[in-house]
Amino acid sequence: MKFRAVMIDAGPMREFSNVVTIISKLSKECVLRLTDDKLYFIVSEENSGPTPPILWCEIPQAMFCSEYQMLGLDEEHKDIYLSFSSGNLARSLVILKTAKSLKMKLTKKQCPCLTLEIEMPSTTSQQTRQVTHDIPVTVIPRKLWTDFHEPRIPDPDISIELPPLKQLRTTIDRMRTMTSEVVIRASAEGRLTLQIRTDMAKVSTRFKGLRVEAFGGPIDHSDSETETQMNEDMSRVCYCRVDAKKLSMFLSAEQISTNRTVCSIVHRKLVILCLTTDESVKLQCFIGGIVY
Amino acid sequence: MNEGTSQYYFTASMDSGKTLCSLLKAIQFQETAVFCALAEGLKLTVEEGKCVQASAYVPSDNFTEYHVRDDVDVMFKISIAVLAECLNIFGSGEESSLKMYYRGEGSPLLLVLQPQSMHNVMTDCEISTQTADSVLELRDEDAAEVAKLVLKAPAFLGLLADLERSCDVIEINLSPDHPNVSIITYGMQDRSCIDMPKSSDMVQSFSCESPVTLRYQLHHIRLIMKALGISTKVVLRCSSNGLLLLQLKLEKEDQRQMFSEFYIVPLLDD
Amino acid sequence: MKCHVPGANVKVLGRTVHALARFGDELYLESLPDCILLRTLNAAESAYAMVKFNKNFFSYFNYNYYSTEDNEGLKCKISMKSALNTFKSPTHMDKQVENLEIKLDADACKLIFQLKCRHGIVKTHFVTILDCKAMQAVYTKDTVPNRITSPQRILSDALNNFQSSDDQLTLEATPLSLILRNYIDCSIDLTKIIRTQITLKPAEFDSYVIGTETIITFSLKEFRALLAFAEALNLPLQLHFETTGRPAVFIVHNGITFEAHFVLATTKPDSTSQTTATQNTSVERKKRKDTTSTQGSVKKKPHLDMDVSKCLDEDSHLFNFVEIPDENFIESNNKQNGHVSKDNKNNSKVEAMDCDNIPASPTSKTIKSVFKRCFESTFDPRSIQGVILAENSDSD
Repeated sequence: MKFRAVMIDAGPMREFSNVVTIISKLSKECVLRLTDDKLYFIVSEENSGPTPPILWCEIPQAMFCSEYQMLGLDEEHKDIYLSFSSGNLARSLVILKTAKSLKMKLTKKQCPCLTLEIEMPSTTSQQTRQVTHDIPVTVIPRKLWTDFHEPRIPDPDISIELPPLKQLRTTIDRMRTMTSEVVIRASAEGRLTLQIRTDMAKVSTRFKGLRVEAFGGPIDHSDSETETQMNEDMSRVCYCRVDAKKLSMFLSAEQISTNRTVCSIVHRKLVILCLTTDESVKLQCFIGGIVY
Repeated sequence: MNEGTSQYYFTASMDSGKTLCSLLKAIQFQETAVFCALAEGLKLTVEEGKCVQASAYVPSDNFTEYHVRDDVDVMFKISIAVLAECLNIFGSGEESSLKMYYRGEGSPLLLVLQPQSMHNVMTDCEISTQTADSVLELRDEDAAEVAKLVLKAPAFLGLLADLERSCDVIEINLSPDHPNVSIITYGMQDRSCIDMPKSSDMVQSFSCESPVTLRYQLHHIRLIMKALGISTKVVLRCSSNGLLLLQLKLEKEDQRQMFSEFYIVPLLDD
Repeated sequence: MKCHVPGANVKVLGRTVHALARFGDELYLESLPDCILLRTLNAAESAYAMVKFNKNFFSYFNYNYYSTEDNEGLKCKISMKSALNTFKSPTHMDKQVENLEIKLDADACKLIFQLKCRHGIVKTHFVTILDCKAMQAVYTKDTVPNRITSPQRILSDALNNFQSSDDQLTLEATPLSLILRNYIDCSIDLTKIIRTQITLKPAEFDSYVIGTETIITFSLKEFRALLAFAEALNLPLQLHFETTGRPAVFIVHNGITFEAHFVLATTKPDSTSQTTATQNTSVERKKRKDTTSTQGSVKKKPHLDMDVSKCLDEDSHLFNFVEIPDENFIESNNKQNGHVSKDNKNNSKVEAMDCDNIPASPTSKTIKSVFKRCFESTFDPRSIQGVILAENSDSD
């Protein structure tokens, strides 16, 4: 089993660091899957055994790496799956924002390690300095690989473009001080609403004029507790109640120079947030609906 | 909307709710406040035990529109924490226009907020209200004012911030003689003393006929620090019964003013 | 004693107190005819700091203001908390404080700090004196083989790469490079911790002399604190060190008005890279200290009265660091000091006493090198040269 990759361009290094930082905010542990053409970061729900991933991130190696070599177990099993602390990786990569190069490799130093060799410019002279981090990893055995397959998701009822993530996150964070759950509503007319309801207050923030990428309606509301709003055709509205903290954590992705972010909703069941960057990174987050 | 306002006990709007939000946060040391809409302006009051009473007061000229029905008392209890979070729903970096509606007893306070920089978004809030208990009357009309001083708020904040937090008691000595103002704190082993003569340029006015010593819980005095942080000027008034009244003035960019005031009950002598 | 510190220097004094507060809980002040010394020692007695403010740091200086007959100057110990309270926010102290007066009366029970501030405000802190003794450590800084002068940013930038949970730093110094590593305690699960290594080239430093290649390990907390001090004052940091077990001395000075010495005990280098895991797993560790380098007790005369049994006891902890020593290292050590064989008897005795704790029998060479280090710094007064700031502080 071998892996070696080198990054030398400032933009991709910065983005790589940002992506890892977001992953570290979402989960303490993550899985890195290495294949010939892509790196995948996969996060499963913590402490809940093998469940479908809650985060799925694809990074095309060619856009990021100037060198990329890997060798799996054998011809049948070409990939490598590593599990490690996402925080360890994120903290080690913070300095990538000013680094000259990053070399990643799989090493055996008393335990399997993902070794990062970062070349940093000196702040005071023309010299460079070499920073090496050995991050302990667990190599995931073949029989567990199936736990980390791309989740199969039902077709969403609606896909709608999100407003600027920073704005969205600020609002969610204010709502989060009042309650732990937030309802996301999206309508085929391009409206997105964040709603909370507590003993003290009902708050709803409405964005309008958003681009709807797909709508699979009409939506059946026969068994739900939806409040109708005036002049709204409910068959063209779907919603999902989710954990506000998870939503907020994903929205910290505002740091990434996003190309666009799309929110897809499977009515009452699932919210999928999908972010794509200029460097063709695809970051998907799956937040399960809370149903009473 | 004007046509319909009469059905509401209270309606108001302003171009930016940002300063109002900071003012509320400055007195937000308790969960609930008494919300009182008077003809002259809006007043929210919080109390800690029977020791500290703090109010935020927003004169009606801060609002672009302000109506209170004169035949009813508009007074109710509300979560000041929730109200402040709602006013801040678009973040502190954003100036948002604000509209407030209150239909009548038992109905929620309605807020509509819209950020000035973005037009495709708005927030509406319904904040539940409860019947208000009466507000404490700490002022004793018979107690004479024994000292009054006017200080620059930022400089006074600097002094309070430097006091050792672990101290329980703060002693304020006021005297017509130098050093006029002396603030003493007692720590675990040490004693610290701040002397401030009336000639100091942070003292804008000083009047005190005879020496007086007042003692308060430091924790109570520290409650005014947030308000000091957003104010320009603070007036301290001491009554003969030891009650301390602090009145703070906040000056906005548009020349309008908002106020906060704190009544602090003295420590009893052992 | 009475002295005045001008506004700009109050900030320096404030920074000093904040740096010392990261070392110890008590602050010792001593006033001498030409300077004031501030000292502190951490609870584990593994880190010591001394800052000397020369007469010219002050706008007024009279060490004998209260004209005591005792010409030794005055000493006192105060709680670090009290000192911090006086210098609450050093960042903008220079803008707020015009003058600071410090008064110490031989008979008084209070040390008085009076700050004359802007707006005509006067703040007076009456700080309780806990004790009238002084404390000092003895260390060598001028004759050591390894000296580096570093612009302050370089090392603090490098330290940013370590995790906040890292508590010890290993420094590997060779003429070609300075390598910084986080120290990995053998009890730590290797699969849980990042190992970080930073290689710095000599050219990054203002000066770089490594006479004896060595690997030393010391506490990161205090090192971060002293780096922050150098950075706040925008002054370079001098590193003076010898070998493992001997204290490392870090110096910050502006050449004129003050000089700060920070002394950190050094312990054995990271042994995990050399030993196998099984050798280390059963080892129960105690907090390492290096009593040979620093000494907190005032009553004892440093060095000479040092309790031998304490030394042996301390050293037995060192036995627990089983490692395969570098042959060259030991040889060069042996050459430097000639009393190896003399100590052998003692060594075997200690070994017998402590054998329960020893997971694997160390080679005799290890013991020699471990033990000799103890004797070197403790019992051979000849090895101490250069500036010794120690003196017997019992005034009678």
